[in-house]
Amino acid sequence: MSGPSQNSRVILAVDDSASMRQMVRFTLESAGYRVVQAVDGIEALDFAKNSAVDLVLTDVNMPRMDGITLVRELRGLNAYKFTPMLVLTTESGQDTKQRGKQAGATGWIVKPFSPEQLLSTIARVL
Amino acid sequence: MDFPHLVPTNPSESTDDTVMMRVATWTPEQQIARMLVLCEAQMESALSESDVAVEALIKSFAGLIEAGQALGSFSDKTPPGADPSTADLARQLDALRKQTAAAVVAFQFYDKLTQRLGHVRYSLSALAMFVCDRAKSGEREQWQRLFTTLRRLYRTEEERELFKLMVDGATAEQAREHIQQSTLTLRAAPTGEIEIF
Repeated sequence: MSGPSQNSRVILAVDDSASMRQMVRFTLESAGYRVVQAVDGIEALDFAKNSAVDLVLTDVNMPRMDGITLVRELRGLNAYKFTPMLVLTTESGQDTKQRGKQAGATGWIVKPFSPEQLLSTIARVL
Repeated sequence: MDFPHLVPTNPSESTDDTVMMRVATWTPEQQIARMLVLCEAQMESALSESDVAVEALIKSFAGLIEAGQALGSFSDKTPPGADPSTADLARQLDALRKQTAAAVVAFQFYDKLTQRLGHVRYSLSALAMFVCDRAKSGEREQWQRLFTTLRRLYRTEEERELFKLMVDGATAEQAREHIQQSTLTLRAAPTGEIEIF
């Protein structure tokens, strides 16, 4: 296990589950990304408005603001028009996926994720 | 969910009036509701216990990852061939990386379990209230509404399939077979699908 390489890219990981946030953080930091975390869409949106983020990785079902609304809100901001936004969720239904796509999500990853696949997907869209 | 009428009274504190009241309000539906609420409470208790244990497990896991990264940095700094044990260390670190990746996938099933049990708990509470409402529970259409409400809770394909199976009238044995088949599929491919739009 080699240490994180220097990678200045910042990824905003949004999930209301502390254990999921940890798993995402372990995975992304091992590849050298800087990870900032938010527990729901509201917290994520506040952070994104005040700081630059290179990629957003969000859950769907969260209290206060869900992930699809977060994607839609971020896409409405000039700074995030072209930022990759991946949805990481247990939701596998076509309807929800379609709503995510319409909101402006870049891709859809169904949990549980494999660290290798998550990293290759992120590398592909960044 | 609060069911004050289901809370048992302490027999030593019972007066004739309270005993009469309990007898008067006793219904089979209330006993079913009491059992459903008990099941829901047992699940909540077990999940709370597990949360504490999993939190500790994740902290240990984080420590192992950090130790692995420190060893990796040490290994990277050692010139190739400088020490015969370096190649062995690199092999061990590679094995550790694979084990870590497998553990990251496995940990996510706890999150999925918590989510699914949350839906079961809600369903039990909803059913407990529903059975106590005789006007509703006597109507077929109201049962359909309840099923529709509960169906909307489900997020995973596994939950939806099992729900459909049971609502369509499958036996417990058929459900068990379905679950065994799903588990085999899961063992073959434990991670979810990825789609780039």
